[in-house]
Amino acid sequence: MARPSSMHVAVVGAGIVGAAAAHFLAAAGTRVTVLDASGPAAGATGASDGAVSVASKRPGPMMELARHARAFYGQLEAEGVFHGLFHRRSTFLIAQNALEAELVSQHGADLAQAGERVIAVARAELMNRIPGLGEGVTAALEIPDDGHALGYQITSRLLQRSGIVVRRRASVSEIVVRDGHAVGVALAGEILSADAVLVAAGIGSAHLLNLGDILIPRKGQMIVTDRASTGRPAIDGHLMGASYLAAKRGIVLDRSHIGLVIDPLVTGQFLLGGSREDNRSDHRTDAVTVSAILRAALELYPPLGARRVVRTFAGVRTASRDGLPIIGRHPHVDGLVVATGFEGDGICLGPFMGESAARMILDRPLAADLSMLTPSRFARAEACQ
Amino acid sequence: MTDAPILVVGGGPAGASAAATLAEAGLRVLLVEQRDQLGGAIHRQPALGAAHTVHAPARHRRNWAELARRIDAAGSRIELHTGTVFLGVDGDGRHLFDDRATGRVVARTIRAAVIAVGAVEKIHPFEGWDLPGVMTAGGAQVLLKETGVPPTGPTLVAGTGPLLLAVSAQLAKAGNPPVAVLERGRPWLRVNALLQMVGAGQQLAEAASYAATLLSHWVPYRTGTDILSVREDAAGLEVRVRRSGSVHSLRARHLLVHDGIEPNRVGIPIPDPEAAVPVVLAGDGREILGADAAILDGRRAACMILARLGLRLPDAQVEARLKAARNVQAAISNMFRSALPEPTPETLICRCEARRLSDFRSLPDDASAREIRLMGRFGMGVCQGRFCGSTIAALRGEAVPSVIPPRWPLRPVSLAALADLKTDELES
Amino acid sequence: MMSRIFWNDRVVPFRPGETIAAALGRAGILSLGPEGGPVRGRVFCGIGACQACVVSVEGGAPVEACLTLATGGLRIGSMPAVGGRND
Repeated sequence: MARPSSMHVAVVGAGIVGAAAAHFLAAAGTRVTVLDASGPAAGATGASDGAVSVASKRPGPMMELARHARAFYGQLEAEGVFHGLFHRRSTFLIAQNALEAELVSQHGADLAQAGERVIAVARAELMNRIPGLGEGVTAALEIPDDGHALGYQITSRLLQRSGIVVRRRASVSEIVVRDGHAVGVALAGEILSADAVLVAAGIGSAHLLNLGDILIPRKGQMIVTDRASTGRPAIDGHLMGASYLAAKRGIVLDRSHIGLVIDPLVTGQFLLGGSREDNRSDHRTDAVTVSAILRAALELYPPLGARRVVRTFAGVRTASRDGLPIIGRHPHVDGLVVATGFEGDGICLGPFMGESAARMILDRPLAADLSMLTPSRFARAEACQ
Repeated sequence: MTDAPILVVGGGPAGASAAATLAEAGLRVLLVEQRDQLGGAIHRQPALGAAHTVHAPARHRRNWAELARRIDAAGSRIELHTGTVFLGVDGDGRHLFDDRATGRVVARTIRAAVIAVGAVEKIHPFEGWDLPGVMTAGGAQVLLKETGVPPTGPTLVAGTGPLLLAVSAQLAKAGNPPVAVLERGRPWLRVNALLQMVGAGQQLAEAASYAATLLSHWVPYRTGTDILSVREDAAGLEVRVRRSGSVHSLRARHLLVHDGIEPNRVGIPIPDPEAAVPVVLAGDGREILGADAAILDGRRAACMILARLGLRLPDAQVEARLKAARNVQAAISNMFRSALPEPTPETLICRCEARRLSDFRSLPDDASAREIRLMGRFGMGVCQGRFCGSTIAALRGEAVPSVIPPRWPLRPVSLAALADLKTDELES
Repeated sequence: MMSRIFWNDRVVPFRPGETIAAALGRAGILSLGPEGGPVRGRVFCGIGACQACVVSVEGGAPVEACLTLATGGLRIGSMPAVGGRND
């Protein structure tokens, strides 16, 4: 592949992954054009909680990768790129009955196995740390090395720092391929030439790459409250109900389509989530789902009863058929790299995955083994059928 | 669904008129009003034991007495819920209400909706508009109607439009005449507009009576006057004003501001008379035509719903009379037309999130509506952009597209009340 | 019969049928705090639209002072401030 300084890369999608890839491509001296059908952070990046959390990940490769990705946040914070945007904070995995306690304990063991610090916190100590927790909360596990960052702020910072101008309202209709090599992207009335193309367009990647049967939209409804405190998070940690772990681990508990998180924002507000609604790509919120999330949140943390709901919103996660992200070179087209399917983990994984995508385009060695995430796995599966 | 009532949101003149008209045609009506009583801002009734009633033109008193009589006569055909805030329509089409008395959010199935939530005042921002002691002239008028007691201490009334006169006269009659009325426009110089006002006899007579009250209390009416900034010190507010190019300071404890009104449309369902559940807007919430026309407009909205349901009412020449009201409003805006001063970079644009003009200017020129909200925080606060929306539209040169579908709750709502959602849907 | 409310522990009398905003205004309380916040609460629009007069309520969710009737013994206070410039 050509030297970075003589290359032009088209990045389709100005979410957190596209912005990170563009940032690191630009840092390597590559000319980059970022295109988005709407604008920066317009999709799932701008409609998500800000958990940079290993605690919530499925055991196995995702947990491993999340550890790399979180460390990458720390590195960029230390280097100044994410200055003021990334904060360390604990995640508390919370059980409210025996079944949930068993699940939390199993998950804690898996985290410890992966090398993560896990601290068991008894109810008395927990009430000290987070006064007001519900009566059903018996114990929790604290994962002290997790963090928080808002996807749209990270995206904006990455673009701003590298001086990249995003082409807004630039809807890419197809990838232009010549002799098996990506040579540009087609927009309304225009072909933009490029030496390589990165598709990081979330659910929008489906029609560009014919992944319609592989990518699944999964809607999540969320709620934002008014401020419970001034200029700092109202509680000292991110509360994650066992229902969230169950959803992540593919176990169905009673509240099957709600994975509860209580995310204290730096503004003093709370972000409460969320539902998991497969094959829903609309952004509507409904009172029945919202009230169910609120009831679960109140049960876990009753002081929320003194708050007001100021906003409800929905984001659409892009999940893949096998539940793992898709990142790697296109199996049949040279110069085309794909990065999508991050489901609800895009904020945590985004900067790391974007940097990895930049390395793939520049033909540089990766910082972690991503072979299990290659898009080729679906081609192989198809061939076996 | 045909058993379901027709929803009327807002108990001001437009909503009351729509509700009465629908009930008189034999339909069941669900009338919700956020306050403890009907009347809206214009016909706000005094609280029990209020010092005295605020002077209002006899015409308004008669109009309201007639509407109140019709609502009473409708009896049980109108199901009235006061203390109930309309929260909008959720993604599944549920109409949601915050019932403050029971502390629950209620979802109701309805057959059609008339939304008559009135207007909000426009406020052109200046440094210090966010300070305690500064309030809208209309807000002060509502409080005055409720208590009969004017704010104590020196009061300035500023901005533009005929409401400045009305509020100032009412303050004077209630015992605290303003230090001055500072009008940005120069209405006397707009001869054409004055000529257009011929035919608006009632409005002119009303204005003349307010002017006479101000004269008799020696209240100066200063036209061509802008507010530049307000500062607060131990003694109250220092208000810097500019008139004919010269700048000077005035002192006050209260500054009442008002730059006209606009329909209160944030989060309001998109009107669609042809939808399965038809939605029609009425009153100042649809088009600013004033209190008299709002009664007609409420009737017009009710007739649209009735026509959709196959029922017809005799034409009361509503459209022609609304057109006359539109001409009067156009003449009034023409009369008070004036250029707005440019806010300073430090001027707060969004009070809810404490965002200044400089914050807005730091966004990219082609920032999308979403970036303005997410990165700028404009329109993300608890007022949902009701007060910064028109300023930002003016700064951008075009309105910020509203969220589609409209965001709910359209007002902040108690989390516990929403968690305790009650729906009238049958269990499936 | 009690006809008073408490604003940050200060006693404020009211007449039946009066809103919290009316009672606070008559008592000369214009700033709804918090002290030191870059933006302080105050009664502004009078119709529930601006949300600038929202006060915290002991034992429940905050309410708009301009829409809510005062009731005997009600304890209300300032809301948390809007935080720093990156808020």
